[in-house]
Amino acid sequence: MSKKRKIMNIIATVLKYAILILGALFTLMPFLWMIISSLKTPAEITAIPPKLLPSVPQWSNYAEAWKAAPFPRYFLNTIIVTIFSTIGVLATAILSAFAFSRLNFPGKKLVFSLFLATLMIPGEMLIITNFITITKLKWIDTYQAMIVPYMSNVFYIYLLTQFFSQVPDSLYLAAKVDKCSDFKFMMKIMVPMNKSAITTIAILNIIGCWNSFLWPLLVTNDRNMRVISNGLVRFQTEAGSDYQLIMAASTIMVMPIIIVYLFLRKYIIEGVTQSGLKS
Amino acid sequence: MKLKKGLAVALTATMAFSTLTGCSNNGSNNETTTNGTTPSETTSVAESTSATETTGNAVVADNGIEPCTIEFWHAMSNKQEEELTALTDKFNAENEYGITVNLTNQGAYKDLSSKLTANAAADTLPDLAQAYNNWLSAYSDKLVHLDDFVANDFDNWDDIVAGYRDENSQFGFISGVPFNKSTYVLFYNKTMFDELGLSAPLTWDELLEVAKVIKDEKGIEAIGWDDLAGMFQAMLVQNGCGYIDETGALFDNEKGLETVEYIMNLYNNGYARLVGEDKYFSNVISNQLIASYVGSSTGASYITADGWELGVAPLVSNTEMAANAAGTNIVMFSQDTNKQKAAWEYLKFLTSAESTTEWAMATGYLPVRTSAYESETYQTFMATDPTSVAAYSQSAYFISQPAFEGSYDVMTAISNTLEEQILNEADAQTTLDALVKAVNDILQK
Repeated sequence: MSKKRKIMNIIATVLKYAILILGALFTLMPFLWMIISSLKTPAEITAIPPKLLPSVPQWSNYAEAWKAAPFPRYFLNTIIVTIFSTIGVLATAILSAFAFSRLNFPGKKLVFSLFLATLMIPGEMLIITNFITITKLKWIDTYQAMIVPYMSNVFYIYLLTQFFSQVPDSLYLAAKVDKCSDFKFMMKIMVPMNKSAITTIAILNIIGCWNSFLWPLLVTNDRNMRVISNGLVRFQTEAGSDYQLIMAASTIMVMPIIIVYLFLRKYIIEGVTQSGLKS
Repeated sequence: MKLKKGLAVALTATMAFSTLTGCSNNGSNNETTTNGTTPSETTSVAESTSATETTGNAVVADNGIEPCTIEFWHAMSNKQEEELTALTDKFNAENEYGITVNLTNQGAYKDLSSKLTANAAADTLPDLAQAYNNWLSAYSDKLVHLDDFVANDFDNWDDIVAGYRDENSQFGFISGVPFNKSTYVLFYNKTMFDELGLSAPLTWDELLEVAKVIKDEKGIEAIGWDDLAGMFQAMLVQNGCGYIDETGALFDNEKGLETVEYIMNLYNNGYARLVGEDKYFSNVISNQLIASYVGSSTGASYITADGWELGVAPLVSNTEMAANAAGTNIVMFSQDTNKQKAAWEYLKFLTSAESTTEWAMATGYLPVRTSAYESETYQTFMATDPTSVAAYSQSAYFISQPAFEGSYDVMTAISNTLEEQILNEADAQTTLDALVKAVNDILQK
């Protein structure tokens, strides 16, 4: 019987891994295709039926893509914008989520509803008005033009408020008995307890910043203030696109994001598996 | 307790400030804009210029221009940008007034268009920009009228290709000078045509015949269009029918139905196909999956003719001839008289026969002057470049996209409607009705 069970176990394991591998392949396929395409010639990239591998890997695509725009500078700018806007977004999200979930003040519900109402306004509608604000502040061609408008995000506030609300009252009251200040309680108890939610917000924001295109383009005219996604359009014209160069530049562009993911992977998985706290 | 409340209020106030800044703009108009003048002064500036310049070229030259920097926003990339930079560097080094033109790439056309729209709202437009007229219809009041400059200080406006002159007068005044101009041509697989004993079709009837042979012999579609709205406009005109004006569709008639019937016949019989996810037929023809296609003359460099020869022909015609002109003009927004004069010097330089020839040969765009076409340099170039020959043969009957409020949306609506009807294999009347409705829904609301 134990032999039978063993066989069953093996089959189950094999099946499990087969499904996992298949899922992984599906997820990886676009990335693999991007990398493979970045090494093809223009003829190979548009060949029908598609060729899986380039006959000779065109490493020169990377060199060509790299020199089409000042990418080192773009990287630096993107990193600066991403870091500061993420710090900003976390600070505002944590503080306001704490206020909404834990503190009582007049008009709390109304303000929270107003916040939620802004979620209904499509981002496109805000672009022009935000742009006019930025020009009036004379912030064109500055980092703050790209950072400040993205230092708060209602969706993240809402998300974090929900997480903070789940922390039992007893913890807060116990902390109060011990004469713990609100700020200290927030930093010492709330934030560590919701580390995974906060990390998720950070990751979402980093990805959003890394990919943002229109806003940085709008508020900059100086070539040296542009961000990395602005470099990608250099391979498109009205009559066609150099796909192999776009793919090479895209590969360069997503690498840092993949590295960030690899480092933060632990927290993402923690977020999924973390067990709830009983009151 | 009080402190806690204070903290909470401060926090929420901070939040409210940073999230709601978008709504807080009230457009304080009394503030002085960077350009220093309001748009309504544009015309008066142009008028005063004309007053001092009535005696002609010499006066303008003597007037002198103070050294200044001109901002020029463009959407050129790769070798087009390199060539534009080369020309601009030459101008910056050689002009006698100390004018510096500063080039700024603003992404692709779509991005440049968004950027101009936003800056028009904030009153921070650049001195010069590349633009299609139909981007500008919403803020054409901010354009500098160039009529006086052209009348007093331009070497022969009549030398500019007629279609481009018309296009730059669409707003009722001269709004820009033509720059990176292209046209739609028919790219075809010459090897395949020769093998089947066919030559490039010149008329609607010939196209049908050719398409039938290709379909029967090769089993592939004979033709495709990168730009459906452009195709529709050109074909209407080729059939002696109107396209659109401010009041709506002009093709809801016999001629229009005939045109739509011809188009749907091509698609429903499998003689023509949609470009779909490929976006441009250059890839499709490179793989010999289509026999010919109509696309921008600058697209030639994206076609890989491996094992076959590429032929280029003018567009087919019916009772009339018409070919779409594409590519942008350069328009002026600067509000300062000195900068206007400086910018005009640069525009004169870019449109000179010498510059436009050099530009055309380096980029695949077309010269904007007849004399440039006829120059020995360009004629020699044409001998090696079939695309420019086909393009040149069409230069007498260029048509451009209409430019009034809503015309840009109409273009998109026509493309989408046509595509939908083609996918539905709809009949001509249904398609015509859908097109008329799509156009009038936008223009007659």
